Amino acid sequence: MSGRRSGSGVSSISDDQITHLVFKLQQLIPELCARRSLKASASKVLQETCDYIRNLHKEVEDLSDRLSQLLASIDTDNDQAAIVRSLLM
Amino acid sequence: MASFTPNLEPAPDASLQFKPKKPRITLQTPSSCPSNQRTQRIKRWRTQRDQHIYSSKLFQALRRSRRTSASREVHETADRVLAGLARGTTRWSRAILTARKVTKHKKAKLPTNNRLRKPDIYRERRKTTAVERKLKVLGRLVPGCLKLSFSNLIEETSDYIAALEMQVRAMTAITEFLCGGTGGGPQPPADRLPSNVNS
Repeated sequence: MSGRRSGSGVSSISDDQITHLVFKLQQLIPELCARRSLKASASKVLQETCDYIRNLHKEVEDLSDRLSQLLASIDTDNDQAAIVRSLLM
Repeated sequence: MASFTPNLEPAPDASLQFKPKKPRITLQTPSSCPSNQRTQRIKRWRTQRDQHIYSSKLFQALRRSRRTSASREVHETADRVLAGLARGTTRWSRAILTARKVTKHKKAKLPTNNRLRKPDIYRERRKTTAVERKLKVLGRLVPGCLKLSFSNLIEETSDYIAALEMQVRAMTAITEFLCGGTGGGPQPPADRLPSNVNS
């Protein structure tokens, strides 16, 4: 993406690009997308993004926790493991 | 793989507001023009096919690994398979794959070397705006994107979010599948057990 002016700030690309990218990001976050507010402020979008990523991380952690428990219980049962394997491969 | 899970329902979307899964999209459009490439990239983690591929790869990896009793191992395996699917095209996937070697050595975040940083009165104190602060936080959350330019960071973030969503969907599907398989699991629904009142 061209249009990057050299400046003293960390992100000193043109404002238009910033708003455009922020808008793109906004469409990915379900919370901001559902509310249909046309353009949330950049800071709000970034905040929601961070929260959303943290949420997803936590969900993956919980899921992997459950999976590990399930796999531990399945390991003791070889028949079902064979069935599951044959279904998935 | 068409009938991968005949009676497997995806996790109810009531609690999670995901976008509805798109039908299987055949990626036969020529990727020569950039708009097509971008469309392919956008749809990348959202097709059923990708999710099925990920689920089966993850399951195979979990079966192969010996130590699946630790949730941390499961988490790392899931991340590794996810990053592997990206085929090295994104920064976060490369960071996940390379970082795995050093996880054992470095448990905590390395403290910033405060001795070498010039004190604030010598540095020209740029007012870090709220946006810049949040950008930094975001850069820390996405692996391998600590010092990225704004536009690159947004690109990586959007890909990472899509991949994470697919990871959650796939792992939920696997969990439900295994739950139904063992007939028990953490939450046995009352109607499943036919005869509960014995002895």
